Amino acid sequence: MIFKKLSNAMIISKLQDNYELQANLFSFVIHFGLFIFMLVSIQWQMKDVYYSEIELWDAMPMQIKSQPVANKKKSADLKKSIPKPIEKQKRLKINEEAEIKLKKRKEKKAKIKKIQKQALKQEKLEQLQKKLLEQEKLEQLQKKLLEQEKLEGIQKKILEQDKLDKLKESILDQEIKKEARIAIEGDQEVFAGSNTGELDKFKAMIQQKIYQNVNKQLCGGDLVELEFEIQLMPTGELLGEPKLIQSSKIESCDQALERAILQSQPLPVPKDVKLFSRLKKLKLMFQPNAYTE
Amino acid sequence: MKQSLLATMLMSSIIAGCSSTDLKESMGLNAPFPELTSQTAQLTPAAMDELASNPLLTERSIYFGFNKYDIKSEYSDMLAAHAEFISKYNVAVSINGNADFRGSHEYNLSLGQKRSVAVGDSLNSLGIGNNNVETVSYGEENANQECTGSACDQDRRADIVYVGE
Amino acid sequence: MKIIQNYIYRFIFLLTLITSSFPSNSIEVIEILGGKASQIPIAITPFNEEIKNIDLEKMHKVIANDLERSGLFTSLDTSGISTIPDSDMLINFSNWSALQAQFLVVGKIITIQNKLTTRWSLIDIYKEKTVLSMEFSGSKKQYRAIAHKISDLVYKKLTGSPGVFHTRITFVKKKSEKIYGLYVSDYDGFNQRAIVNSSQPIISPRWSPDGKKIAYVSFEKKKPVIYVQDLTTGKRVLVANFKGNNSAPAWSPDSKKLAIVLTYSANSQIYIINSDGSGIKQLMRTRSINTEPAWSPDGKEIFFSSDRGGNPQIYKVNVEGVSDVNRVTFEGKGNLSPSLSPDGKLLLFLTQDNGKFRVAVQNLSTNQVLKLTKGPHDESPIFSPNGHMILFTYKDYGKTTKIGTVSVNGLKVTPLRVGSEAILESSWGPITNN
Repeated sequence: MIFKKLSNAMIISKLQDNYELQANLFSFVIHFGLFIFMLVSIQWQMKDVYYSEIELWDAMPMQIKSQPVANKKKSADLKKSIPKPIEKQKRLKINEEAEIKLKKRKEKKAKIKKIQKQALKQEKLEQLQKKLLEQEKLEQLQKKLLEQEKLEGIQKKILEQDKLDKLKESILDQEIKKEARIAIEGDQEVFAGSNTGELDKFKAMIQQKIYQNVNKQLCGGDLVELEFEIQLMPTGELLGEPKLIQSSKIESCDQALERAILQSQPLPVPKDVKLFSRLKKLKLMFQPNAYTE
Repeated sequence: MKQSLLATMLMSSIIAGCSSTDLKESMGLNAPFPELTSQTAQLTPAAMDELASNPLLTERSIYFGFNKYDIKSEYSDMLAAHAEFISKYNVAVSINGNADFRGSHEYNLSLGQKRSVAVGDSLNSLGIGNNNVETVSYGEENANQECTGSACDQDRRADIVYVGE
Repeated sequence: MKIIQNYIYRFIFLLTLITSSFPSNSIEVIEILGGKASQIPIAITPFNEEIKNIDLEKMHKVIANDLERSGLFTSLDTSGISTIPDSDMLINFSNWSALQAQFLVVGKIITIQNKLTTRWSLIDIYKEKTVLSMEFSGSKKQYRAIAHKISDLVYKKLTGSPGVFHTRITFVKKKSEKIYGLYVSDYDGFNQRAIVNSSQPIISPRWSPDGKKIAYVSFEKKKPVIYVQDLTTGKRVLVANFKGNNSAPAWSPDSKKLAIVLTYSANSQIYIINSDGSGIKQLMRTRSINTEPAWSPDGKEIFFSSDRGGNPQIYKVNVEGVSDVNRVTFEGKGNLSPSLSPDGKLLLFLTQDNGKFRVAVQNLSTNQVLKLTKGPHDESPIFSPNGHMILFTYKDYGKTTKIGTVSVNGLKVTPLRVGSEAILESSWGPITNN
């Protein structure tokens, strides 16, 4: 019992805050209800109790010899009246005992109810615990998958560094598309907590979407580099204008890339607040003429 | 006055046998075509008769493979005949080189020229000096612009044309 | 005092709570490598005009054709739009954005007697603002010229490069076996007029960089000789008539000299001569063909074709000083007709590929070759003065030679409408500042 209570406590501490609040509220409600119930129920029982006054005589009445007949009558009356207080006392005692018994029964009932409710609570908690465990398992699996893919990706890159630039380009393109495809096809529910796999997914999606709109024809033939800073809203739209940090020195190129960013709205952003906050401000680095064709 | 002076200067430099690498700055604008006729004799009626009657002399064209300028042995007799004729009458001859239409106009002009020079060299080796021979090219300008396959073969040729014909 | 202290501590505690919940300072970085060779979608709406008796191509069409020909723009079909704006007021940006237009050109033409006043604007749909807004006036005759000027300004604004839509070209037409003409026209083939008529072929027309003269080779003297004709006076000078062939004139970048090819010494060799025909100097001499000279834009090198290696390939040599000859092209069975882009970075030439002659460009730093046309008989490639388009002649098997342009990215091939006669060769005139 105690162990269970302890474990319950541990579980409760693991849960999110509102569950604790709920429990406290629930407990309060139960106790209050019980209290009211107690008041109401005692009053009801009091009606059945025979309530009488007790007269206690200090001395016996003086007997008159001359009146033996009268004395006999009086003693009879006395005899009759004396058993009343005794019964009353007994009854009171019984009543008290009954009261106490009732009280105890009530308390027991309350306790049982409390225990039942706690048991229910516990069931619910256990269910939640199960769900959490399942979720954690899923998260771990996903993490493992992403890590595996990353490893494969890294291995591929090392192998292909020996090949010509043309091959490098096509393979890089393929990898980005793959990641983007997985991100789109896979479960997009964001789980709580920091998950770098999720973050990379969204970064890849943003990169792919903007890449589709980059018109490199306006950037001359040299390997120019550009850098923009953007701020995002949870809708994926930009907050304000893209800020040019590093220019390509070619005005039409700067403008074309700014257009590419604007055209890509709304950018794919996570729904989870924590994850989104890491993508609220972004640095976009462009090399439009990389991998000349 | 100036023109004849120029002509004399030009001819004297040619007569002196100056190698073609020495084009002097003082030459300025050059003499009109043809420059060599004063060195050679005109075509006489007798010569014209011979040209018409000799079957080898009526052969005037040498044909070449694609992008080629080497003269095939089948033309040796014909060239020998012409060499003899030129030497006999001391006439001037123009070798006109041609190419088929494929490729650029300018490169074909050069290719035609190479063919004409090849024929000129052959005549040289048969004892005919450069005084009697002018090599010229028309490139693809006389070629059939719409030929396909072997129909284009006839455009790859050098023609022997006697000055005054 | 203690109360104040209490509050201060509370405040500090709160502050640390708040600041500790801030994310770390590092901003996420996304690298985007490469890009697409795409075209800017631009909508050019019909101009609001009330011009009568003009069966000309409409101004918006001229502009759309100009921009499309360059290969950097794609003009959107605006025929389905009910209300066409004629100024930059009251533009429904979301409508144009929905059509995928990034830019919009609108205009209005007012005719007063014989004078046209064109008011037009270039509008950025994404930024929802007017980029250019101008007014031009001209005679009815200048209708197309005004359209080309608008194209130039839009082009310059959006690509950073000068437009060539106001420039002119020259080309040789063969009207029949005995009728040849050297023509000059707008860059798109309109408004053509003959400047030379001859019964013999004309080849290798070349427009001087200063725009004043055209050099060309004529066979009218029964052999190729070189003339230089003044475009304003129409007068011409015979600059080269040496023994043998005189051909392949190539202007130096300062328009003062010509590189020419003479067969004075038997085979074709390259010489340099003043543009008036004086002061001849031999560049080099070998036993092989050396022809088709082309100057680098800095005037220091001459590229040429030669068969010294067996097949014709392209080489380059210094004009002054050291006469090191370096081979430039290595791919294909033969490479001919070299010329340089205005920035000197690209070599334009003809490549012989599986029996087909195709127009190609080679990046002179990376040596990568891009074939721009498919052949089989493409010839006479020449750059536009901004290096973005190439003029060339082409024909299918057994058909008439035609003339067209290809964008330097190879994406857009557009014919020129100059008539049905065969075209021999062509050249592009320079950018002029009017």
